[in-house]
Amino acid sequence: MKSKFHRSSAKTADKAATAALYMVAGLFLVLLAAFTIYIFYRGATAFKPEYLSFTREGIGIQFFNTIYLVLISLLISVPIGIAAGIYMAEYSGGGRISRFIRTCIETLASLPSIVVGLFGYLVFVVMTGSHWNLLAGALAVSILNIPSLTTVTEDALESVPELYREGSLGLGATHWQTITGVIIPAALPRILTGIVMAAGRGFGEAAALLFTSGMSSDVNFRNWNPWSRTSPLNLLRPADTLAVHIWALKTEGIEENAAQLSDLSSAVLMILVFAFSLGSRCIGDRLERKIAGSEPKGSKKTWKRK
Amino acid sequence: METKISVKSLNLHYGEFHALKNISIDIPENSVMALIGPSGCGKSTFLKALNRMDDLVPNVKIEGTVLLDGKDIYSPETDVTLLRKRVGMVFQQPNPFPMSIYDNIAYGPRIHGVKSRRQLDETVESSLHGAALWDEVKDRLHKNAIGLSGGQQQRLCIARALAIKPEVLLMDEPTSALDPISTMKVEELIGTLKKKYTIVIVTHNMQQAARISENTAFFLHGEIVEYGETGQLFSMPKEKKTEAYITGRFG
Amino acid sequence: MSSKSARSEFDRELEGLHLDLIRLGGMIEEAIDNAITALVRRDKKLAQNVVDNDRRIDDLDHAIEAKCLSILLRQQPVAQDLRAVSTALKMVTDMERIGDHAADIADISLRFDSSPFIKKLEHIPLMARIASSMVKEGITAFVKSDVESSRETIRRDDEVDSLFETIKQEIIAILTQKPAVADQAVDLLMIAKYIERIGDHAVNICGWVIFFVTGEHKDKKII
Repeated sequence: MKSKFHRSSAKTADKAATAALYMVAGLFLVLLAAFTIYIFYRGATAFKPEYLSFTREGIGIQFFNTIYLVLISLLISVPIGIAAGIYMAEYSGGGRISRFIRTCIETLASLPSIVVGLFGYLVFVVMTGSHWNLLAGALAVSILNIPSLTTVTEDALESVPELYREGSLGLGATHWQTITGVIIPAALPRILTGIVMAAGRGFGEAAALLFTSGMSSDVNFRNWNPWSRTSPLNLLRPADTLAVHIWALKTEGIEENAAQLSDLSSAVLMILVFAFSLGSRCIGDRLERKIAGSEPKGSKKTWKRK
Repeated sequence: METKISVKSLNLHYGEFHALKNISIDIPENSVMALIGPSGCGKSTFLKALNRMDDLVPNVKIEGTVLLDGKDIYSPETDVTLLRKRVGMVFQQPNPFPMSIYDNIAYGPRIHGVKSRRQLDETVESSLHGAALWDEVKDRLHKNAIGLSGGQQQRLCIARALAIKPEVLLMDEPTSALDPISTMKVEELIGTLKKKYTIVIVTHNMQQAARISENTAFFLHGEIVEYGETGQLFSMPKEKKTEAYITGRFG
Repeated sequence: MSSKSARSEFDRELEGLHLDLIRLGGMIEEAIDNAITALVRRDKKLAQNVVDNDRRIDDLDHAIEAKCLSILLRQQPVAQDLRAVSTALKMVTDMERIGDHAADIADISLRFDSSPFIKKLEHIPLMARIASSMVKEGITAFVKSDVESSRETIRRDDEVDSLFETIKQEIIAILTQKPAVADQAVDLLMIAKYIERIGDHAVNICGWVIFFVTGEHKDKKII
């Protein structure tokens, strides 16, 4: 009798927990949807075609700056982060040095971005004797991203089944051949996710950029000589990103349409992040198919003849 | 029959743990040697000592000699990657890499420097024939190997090992994760492979050892209690402990 | 066999097989003894009894064979277990033959009319006693896994063979003198031959007992 009672109370608890969790998830989804719709609605109502122009009146420059800065920061942080992750997962051996490095990474990961921004200002701007510039911003974002990229890569490599490693070494592969030939390809989807998240952080970052890449831009979109001060491609010019632009408009915007511009910027930034996520997932899928095997053109015929 | 591998007073320690105690055994060429014994008796450790996969374990200490064709594989001159090319390994869990069937098999030749597409094609085909898998996968060589059944995956791993043209194949419970039909296919394959290769197989399945091997060694607590011709060992074991183990009256 | 064994069920089956073989052994010893007694005493009822009982020996023989096959199928025995089951399977065939020969002897004595024996029966009962005790010793040796006594029993077959030779010479001598008694003479010779065959089967049983213990049959490894 007792066990029967026990059974039914366990079932009730199970149902209650399921219901509670569904409710929490539902609430979260509603909140997220409401938030998204709100931002898109505000952005759509504020929309005027001239706001998209690549001039002082529009946000085209900021749009370009955002993508450019994130790209440059990924070019810096991804190789360093992945290399560090490979070292941590495959070579550090878990001794005292690796524990020390891990502590450093954790500390670095929990630094407030404003602190990184000030550090970037001090080192990349003041100490180099330059002015606010895009490269300094990209470097600051890289400092924010390298710890998480390292951790993600390390986790991704360590989650690759030991069986693959044994299989490869058992065929006479060296450690490096095993890492490049089997382990990294197997860990690639997770590493890619880490890169997407790092990029997302770059898109949304403002605090670290205020004093590094600056809050303004002076760009001529007909000048594509990267060494020229006013060229969009110049790395040593000030460059405000969308997120910084929103912050600037909201805090010290004196233009009449500051509110509309920041609303539109928010919506555009959101679309940008969304598009980037989708795009990188597409690339990731194709890459995975290529590694995991699909049907490359022409190969089928070669094998049919036999 | 020629001796392919000759092990002399092999001792292996994992830190404080004495995992292999004074193992001496000769493994004849072109035959199947089965290693049986309860879990933790050292048979898998011994298997891994034959191509130095135990090098990967930290704090391992090895004494004694393992002669492959008369040359000590633990001597400082031995190139471990070349050794593992000569002494291939198939694991308990089928472990195809998460790539296409073709790339799985081409992996070994590629890391050993084969670049020519034609040569790789030939190796892939002959290895798959060798592992009795060709007919089942010839139309989907560029599909992911993970899509194969467990038994096919294990034969793919055997094909992958064959692709680097080894002389010895080490198999660590290769059928323990397979259904009976796949097991029979792998066993039959072992029967054909032994004509060209020397096979050492760890198995928990005594009937399997009796079915496929010429010689059997019984391990217990890191020692070889008895080894000899399989029929002899399973019909008239010399040692009481062997008798107790194989008839299931252990401990 | 220890009671702590992981295979107590299997051990019970093997034990049961053992007991069945001992029971069959008892039945064939009794059959031989009764067949000879019936012959000597001209007791047709007892002879008929032996013939009828052969059916029961055959039944038990089939039951033992079925048990052996079932053990082979389900337990896939190895080592001592394999030798025990295969020994039982071989022994039971010899034992069944011994039972048949006892029934054959009884069958012949049923055919005899009341005319007196052509000579006093002394060698035949002696021979039968030896053969019967060989059977008994063979079964006991199996129960005790006793190689030495098996070898001893095998050697005793020489006595049976030489007695058969003696009987044959006697009968030839009688036949050359009195061809009229040929009928009975041939029957007695056949009885002697059956007893001689029983001795051979006892030798076979002992051979399998030696295999059971040593793994060697007729001094050769057979697996």
